[in-house]
Amino acid sequence: MAPSLAVLALITLLPSLYLLATSFTPLNLTRPETLWDFSQPLESYRQIWADSRLHHSVWVQIKLSFWTVLLQLAIGLALALLLNMRTRLLEALRTVFLIPMVLPPIVVAIIWKVIYTPDISPMHGLFRALGWNVPALITDPNWALTSIIIADTWEWFPFTMLMVLAALQMMPQELLDAAKVDGASPWQLTRYITLPFIKGVLLVAGLFRLIDSIKAFPLIFILTDGGPGNVTEVTNYYSFLQAFNFSFLGFSSAITVALLAATIVLSWVIVRLVGWGARVD
Amino acid sequence: MSTSGRARRRDRLLMQALAVLLALLALSPFLWLVLMSFKTNAEIFRFPPRFFFEATTANYAALWTSEFRNSFANSLIVSTVSTALSLLIGVPAAYALSRWTTRGGGTITLWILASRMAPPIAFTIPYFLVYRHLELLDTRTGLVVIYLTFNLSLVIWMMRPFYDQLPRSLEEAAWIDGATLWQGFYRIILPLSGPGLAATAILCFLFAWNDFFFALILTRTEAMTAPVAVVNFMNYEGWEWGRIAAGGTMIMLPVLIFSFVVRRYLVHGLTGGALKG
Repeated sequence: MAPSLAVLALITLLPSLYLLATSFTPLNLTRPETLWDFSQPLESYRQIWADSRLHHSVWVQIKLSFWTVLLQLAIGLALALLLNMRTRLLEALRTVFLIPMVLPPIVVAIIWKVIYTPDISPMHGLFRALGWNVPALITDPNWALTSIIIADTWEWFPFTMLMVLAALQMMPQELLDAAKVDGASPWQLTRYITLPFIKGVLLVAGLFRLIDSIKAFPLIFILTDGGPGNVTEVTNYYSFLQAFNFSFLGFSSAITVALLAATIVLSWVIVRLVGWGARVD
Repeated sequence: MSTSGRARRRDRLLMQALAVLLALLALSPFLWLVLMSFKTNAEIFRFPPRFFFEATTANYAALWTSEFRNSFANSLIVSTVSTALSLLIGVPAAYALSRWTTRGGGTITLWILASRMAPPIAFTIPYFLVYRHLELLDTRTGLVVIYLTFNLSLVIWMMRPFYDQLPRSLEEAAWIDGATLWQGFYRIILPLSGPGLAATAILCFLFAWNDFFFALILTRTEAMTAPVAVVNFMNYEGWEWGRIAAGGTMIMLPVLIFSFVVRRYLVHGLTGGALKG
């Protein structure tokens, strides 16, 4: 056991510490002497406060996270309620609906690149046939972020659906039966019995999706490259550009430390909510 | 009574019809890409599309004679080796954590969850810097090691709740008969882990196979994986949609097959048993 955990520490904790150390240097790969230069340790963090492009990226991140989490919860919940009947057809359909989520993210990005490229897109073909003049969504500043939100929602609504379906299966049948005997309508059953029962699962699903939305990368990389301008440039993407396009690894490390801290805090909330670790023996 | 029964049956039929319709709608983008991979370039640009077109496998043939074949092999090798290593290191750790954690259980859970959820760039920067010195950039070894960051965590939290459910009396009986700690695990516990182990292995393989970010940064040509290779068709060789679609379809094929096999374990693999709470 100890060796295994040592390996995990070696490959996760040590690099995190190295990341933290790098964030205290002005590391720039084109200037090797900056590698261990700790003369101004907080310079990168000072830049974080001053960099307006970074602040903009946080705002983009908030918009992206808010809408994708909200839409995924709503659509996933609605579908789960629809599919929660024990017929063979619907059970088969559940598996079909999982496909977007299990596809490699890069394939999802390619799929939506096709749909958003007017020359070959069946969607744009349809719009033209209907006589609508729709701009190329991913190059239009007003639509670029929305088009990412649509693609991301398509990819991840099955996650909420799956979690809610699993929870619904654990719902005590007596509760429903009792309410039915009392004459509750299907809507009342959903509103007053089912929804309160799955509230916790929705919260956990939302938190998982929230953390994942901070990592959004392949869709943005393939569809918009952060553009047009920087309307789809989320913080994670900006950090990637700083590190691997502009070589400012020190500054990028500081941004990434902040992202990592956010991830850890949200993970901690999940651990507390679910109550892992508090083992009953 | 019979009219309400009929009404109920009608409602059920309507709901099923709606579900089928939604499934088709949700899947259409995915089906479109698969169809595209069998089309000639002229057919791809045709609108309205013909329902019956002459399918061609030229896109696949072109891929198979290009560098893409090496990248596909890289993906297979790296994902397989990373899966094997994760199981080898992670399964004993999961077992031990399940049996002997008393204090600090919450902290270890948080650590494991956070390693799984951390933005890839948090690991990419330090690994990139270290690999430059160790000459591990653009090597399959380098990828295998960085994939352990998420797969080792995955193994531990998939298998730990599984071992929590196995009664301790099993291996205790073996110890009384004179078996060592290791023998108890190897002879008694491991054979019982079959299905959970298989599902965990498949999920590890999928996560490694699906990775894009690490391979994008840490490989150039030699160790390039299939997801990165497909993107290069977009950038450098013009927009060869047929080949992009064929490459995408090839990448997702193993994923679809494996996901179907482990679909019952997906929730657990993605959330680490959050539902059990």
